Amino acid sequence: MEKLSPVLECCGVSHWFGTNNVLHEVDLKILRGEIVSLVGPSGCGKSTLLRAIIGTHPPCKGKVVVHNIDGSANTVTRPGRDRGIVYQRYTLYPFLTAKENVAFGLMLDQSSLAGRLFKYFNWRRLRKDHLQQAEELLVKLKLGAALNLYPHEMSGGMCQRVAIAQALIMKPEILLLDEPFGALDEATREELQQMLLSLYAENCLMQREGKEPPYTVLMVTHELNEAIYVSDRVVALSQYWDWQGVGHVVCPGATIVYDNLAPVFQPGDQRDYVAFETQRQTIRNAAFEPDILQDSQQFKQFWEDVMQGKGKGVLA
Amino acid sequence: MIRGRLGHRKAMAFSVISVVVLLLLYTWLSIRQHQINPSDTTIPDWGQLCDGVKQMISPHPRTGEVWLFEDSLATGYRLFCGLSWGVLGGFVIGVLMGCFRIVEAVLGPPVKLFAKIPPTAALAVFFVVTGTENQMYLAMIAFGVLPVLAQSVYLAVREVPQELIDKSYTLGASNLEVVWCVIVRFILPKLLDAIRLQIGPAMVYLIAAEMVFGHVGFGYRIRLQQKLLNMSVVYPYLALLAIFGFMMDYVVSLMQRLFCGWYVQGGKR
Repeated sequence: MEKLSPVLECCGVSHWFGTNNVLHEVDLKILRGEIVSLVGPSGCGKSTLLRAIIGTHPPCKGKVVVHNIDGSANTVTRPGRDRGIVYQRYTLYPFLTAKENVAFGLMLDQSSLAGRLFKYFNWRRLRKDHLQQAEELLVKLKLGAALNLYPHEMSGGMCQRVAIAQALIMKPEILLLDEPFGALDEATREELQQMLLSLYAENCLMQREGKEPPYTVLMVTHELNEAIYVSDRVVALSQYWDWQGVGHVVCPGATIVYDNLAPVFQPGDQRDYVAFETQRQTIRNAAFEPDILQDSQQFKQFWEDVMQGKGKGVLA
Repeated sequence: MIRGRLGHRKAMAFSVISVVVLLLLYTWLSIRQHQINPSDTTIPDWGQLCDGVKQMISPHPRTGEVWLFEDSLATGYRLFCGLSWGVLGGFVIGVLMGCFRIVEAVLGPPVKLFAKIPPTAALAVFFVVTGTENQMYLAMIAFGVLPVLAQSVYLAVREVPQELIDKSYTLGASNLEVVWCVIVRFILPKLLDAIRLQIGPAMVYLIAAEMVFGHVGFGYRIRLQQKLLNMSVVYPYLALLAIFGFMMDYVVSLMQRLFCGWYVQGGKR
């Protein structure tokens, strides 16, 4: 546990639109190698928090800090190269093939417009290398047959996998998934969940070898089973908490009301919905019941559990 | 069925049939008119039309000019240059308006205003500002198509999903790269569509201006010959104009197929 460094810190993040309070003093620290699921009722501000982390809507109060692997840290003010994002509607560049889509970020990151224009032959060499890297990653994600297909020629699941590859190839400090499987059928959804578990398994392997886990993921999802199955930690954001108990007259916005470990699964492990039931019910009570307003600290045992060595996977 | 598919051969057959029907209709009208007045020149028969075409492609006995060559060169040059300037201006202004709110705030109202003024109604203004040389025709076409194109490009830029732009930043793109590598590539097929739609209006502006101020060009020749009721020259010129427009349209659509295969194949067109 001591070896794990934080990747993302939300410090007292509050956000509001006019008189509409959305987020209230959200504090969240994510460690390198974790796969964290963010759940919560509709309209609680999950996407607003994600936008604050991406940097398209910086918080009205508080700050979001990204800790880079080289030890530096930067406060988020705009979207940046250190945070990868995958949206629900698999936003791919429609004018590029799967391979080109994945190589697109490498091109933007490792070359400039002027360089591509005036050092054409250098650029061609670099381009070849980028396409090779993109191809290797797509093959790893079982998309070898779709390398030269345009997004309109691929299924939703394939597009989403390309979108994930597009973000992963950049090796972001943290990968943000905004309801990534929401528009997919059940079979494809399960396939992509397995893919996330594979990434987590790779994290564990790297950690055992004494290296930094390469993938840190924050996933927004509606599906509680998915959250528990895929991630090693579940965080719930909700506006249903006892804000009157701490002296507010009107609801100041949603805050984190649940933060706990989730069971760690290996790729291929079967989901046991019955085993999830207790945790699901607790999350429902903590975050989804408008009539049960509880102390926001009541269901947040993550750090205590980790300190006591109850964490598994990369948290072990 | 609405939007039902039609085979390529069938579509071609229907196109040929429509042209043949038009030609037959013209032939019938011409025969009928010549029965009433055998020396009629308003609806010339095919023989008269051939004489008109010969007149167009033969050197003029007095000046030695070949009308078709001189007029095509003048009109083609004006149309190409005027359209190019209009497209360039419309593209740059549209992209800037779509990308930057401040440019939108500054240029939006004048662009909307100019788009409502038909350039043919402002002929006198172009005449006063640029004189009667080629600049006038170029300015007229350019200012005619520019506001409409700028608006089309602006709307296309606004249609680029915000998520795509945000994602580009997360992939390390600079502002310039987002504009050039994402927005321009995304809107390119729509820009080409907009250019295709502006070819017709550009020709209207040019012919109208040539009719009023020209010394050479399709509009000048048509006006001159129609005064003489020499329709055997006017009709071939009109046909040539149509072919001219069709070829330009074809070239742009070819560019669309070449550079925006994803758009054409994607069923968006």
